[in-house]
Amino acid sequence: MYPPKLEAIINLFESLPEIERRETLVSYADNAKQQEPRPGEKFALEDVRKDEECADTVGVYLQVDDEGTAHFRMTLGPEVQTLTRAMTAILCKGLDGRTPQEVLELPSDFVTRIVGAELVRVRSQTIYYVLTRIKGICKVYLDRQRMAAVA
Amino acid sequence: MTTSPTQYAHPEVLVDADWIEKHRNDNDVRIIESNEDILLYDTGHIPGAVHIDWRTDLQDQVIRDYIAPDKFAELCSRNGITPDTTCIFYGDKANWWACYALWAFRLFGHEKVKILNGGRDKWKAEGRTMTREVSKYPQTNYPMPKKRFDKEIRAFADEALAQSKSGKPLIDVRSPGEFKGEITHMAEYPQEGVLRGGHIPGAKSVPWKTATNDDSTFKPAGDLAKIYLEQCGLKPGTDTVVYCRIGERSSHTWFVLTYLLGLDNVRNYDGSWTEWGNKVGAPIEKG
Repeated sequence: MYPPKLEAIINLFESLPEIERRETLVSYADNAKQQEPRPGEKFALEDVRKDEECADTVGVYLQVDDEGTAHFRMTLGPEVQTLTRAMTAILCKGLDGRTPQEVLELPSDFVTRIVGAELVRVRSQTIYYVLTRIKGICKVYLDRQRMAAVA
Repeated sequence: MTTSPTQYAHPEVLVDADWIEKHRNDNDVRIIESNEDILLYDTGHIPGAVHIDWRTDLQDQVIRDYIAPDKFAELCSRNGITPDTTCIFYGDKANWWACYALWAFRLFGHEKVKILNGGRDKWKAEGRTMTREVSKYPQTNYPMPKKRFDKEIRAFADEALAQSKSGKPLIDVRSPGEFKGEITHMAEYPQEGVLRGGHIPGAKSVPWKTATNDDSTFKPAGDLAKIYLEQCGLKPGTDTVVYCRIGERSSHTWFVLTYLLGLDNVRNYDGSWTEWGNKVGAPIEKG
């Protein structure tokens, strides 16, 4: 069972023929810039770094509201590839409003259902990168919460 | 003593953006985009350009090899290409994949090939027109190539080994870290399953990027001659084998040596380090 927003995106992609799936991925990639932090926004955690797995710097910003649900913002360097841009927009939208624990427990098999077998085959190493980074920031957040509770 | 050339051996093999603007609607010209970023063409391309994907269009989907001649004929036919079509290749990453696609077209004997100097990055940086409209051309009937020119421009592992043993030129165009065996993939790229790091014994390290300017165009002929002829010691008429990790960066160097410096007998070992670094018993040098 996936978060409803994510489930809707998965269902959309699964209903599309290959050409439209690519077009939709490009549309999401076009919207990746809209996931950047807005002026004045404050975050519980920020994780901006350049990893070997990705062609450029990727920043992940985690906001947790009073109800304990997470909201994500991301920044992408100019060299980041189109598929990674698409996954950024998809995951920021699809995981919005879930708790960090729910995000952390999310199985990653949905990524192949969105991207499609063909693109998974040719880019199998990189399609999970954004999800890994989002889960990573959730894990750090939860670890800090636990440590604070113990202290 | 070598005299530095003042112009490329085959200057006609490079075109610039103005040439494209003038000729992109010519019936006997086909512009072909080939990228590393598999969705990049979909985000916008030169008007009229078709997309050829190095993995799905040029490679056999089962065996690690190129497509068979009949599949190449089908690929050309569906993109409106005939043996008389001048194919202009361009793409991202300073034309790595464009050079790879050009090399693959040469494997099948297609003769009229050119590169857009500076590739996609320069075209975009100059603010030139791009479109998302997918280009379609009337189907042609490209004849099935009678042979693949593997012997002439491609090297296999046993040939690379023979090259190593005979002390003939072997050029490793990967990054210095890959050459030394400190890493098995380019920085910023995923590890793709190579078990050993290093280089083929006797290979010289000349990273592909030494042949390009910051705007992804090729360096002038004199500079290229200094790098490859004077410093690296390559000579016309001597067998030379170039390799990288999967054959794309070495296609770039193969293009430079063959067309810009006019060296004969340059072959691309496209199996490259992903084959050599996994091959049981293959000799390796480090450092």
